[in-house]
Amino acid sequence: MVTGATQQTLRDGLSLELRRGALVLAVLLELRHEEYGYSLKRLLSQKGLEIDEGTLYPLLRRLESQGLLRSAWRVEDGRPRRYYQASAQGAKLAKELTAEWRKLADALGTVIG
Amino acid sequence: MDMIDRYAHEVGQHLPHRLRADVEAELRSLLADAVEEKARQGGVPAGRELQASVLRDFGRPQDVAARYAPGPQYLIGPRLYPAYLTAVKVMLPILAALIVAVVAAGGFLAPGEEPSLTVFVRATGRFLWSALENLGVLTLVFALVERAMRQREPADQAFDPAALPPVNDPDRVSYFGRIVALYLIALLAVAFNVFPGWVAVPVFHGSEGAAHPLLAPGFGRYLPALNVWWGLAFLLNLAVLRRGRWTRPTRWLDFGLELGLAAILLRIVTGPPAFAYDRPIKVVLGWVLGFTAVSACVMLFRLLRRQPAEPWAAA
Repeated sequence: MVTGATQQTLRDGLSLELRRGALVLAVLLELRHEEYGYSLKRLLSQKGLEIDEGTLYPLLRRLESQGLLRSAWRVEDGRPRRYYQASAQGAKLAKELTAEWRKLADALGTVIG
Repeated sequence: MDMIDRYAHEVGQHLPHRLRADVEAELRSLLADAVEEKARQGGVPAGRELQASVLRDFGRPQDVAARYAPGPQYLIGPRLYPAYLTAVKVMLPILAALIVAVVAAGGFLAPGEEPSLTVFVRATGRFLWSALENLGVLTLVFALVERAMRQREPADQAFDPAALPPVNDPDRVSYFGRIVALYLIALLAVAFNVFPGWVAVPVFHGSEGAAHPLLAPGFGRYLPALNVWWGLAFLLNLAVLRRGRWTRPTRWLDFGLELGLAAILLRIVTGPPAFAYDRPIKVVLGWVLGFTAVSACVMLFRLLRRQPAEPWAAA
């Protein structure tokens, strides 16, 4: 039998999975303009996407290693910061994923009723 | 920002060297931003307490490092793990049975010593030590195979259902069989080259360490040829494992290795003394030579009369 705590853990896990896919798309879209890690987190947070920093920053590195982002170090306000921006490949992928997302949202909307 | 420096350094310690400096620098900058922002929002100083709170939210350094680290973080993956477990489950009882046999034959008794708790403890210690040694070699072999197989598979490798092998497929490679072969080759190569004392028989009614080495100094002349054979056999087994199936070229190479082994055995059997108990060991090796020669003939026969190694591909 599923206890309340297990149910909660299960819901948290599935919710995380649901958000994970969306997160890549959100990052690629926000990075149409150059941002550094913390400013990106703040931007996403302002739009209702709360993301754990320990997840977001490694994700940026991974997307960069996949060629979807490019980055450069710059000193701003006396602090060195790494700025990220979507590469041409990343921007193209973001468009494709957006179309995919819309289709999925429509389909799911129909399923939900 | 002492705590942030320590945190970034700690994360770096769990990362490959080439990533370390860059990730540490970025983390320092990101964490400093986070602390400043929270201090501003809360109207509190960016002191130790606030730093600790930000770092707690960020997570344990080793967890953060695991998210930064590229590639899989395991030695033996889910594909090989069942075969690894089977190999361990097979190996441990065999080792235990060998130790029990030696104990039953009085192999751990010093001259005049009666079976006692001390002898039992000694035998148990020997078993645990052998188990550890074998487990180490086995794990190493599986880890090497895992690495070799991982390199072979690009993520975008296309799957062609038409290329699925038939149900009764003589060319399908048994992971377990090939890996056990790799393990035995590695074990033999290590034993003969690095620990020749392992190639010994326990002396019954002797002290614990009294094992008679089997190799005589004359054996050294065969070691280069054996090393080449072990190296080639290891590479062939690895290649077959990576491909996942036997092909005609690998079957021919396997046949060539069988012939090579027969040639080496023939040289040993007919050559000058190479063992401590030269005559009986050469009789045993003569039998092994006979089996190897028969096996090579069977392999050749199958190779000459067989259909293509991938019959469905020819269809």
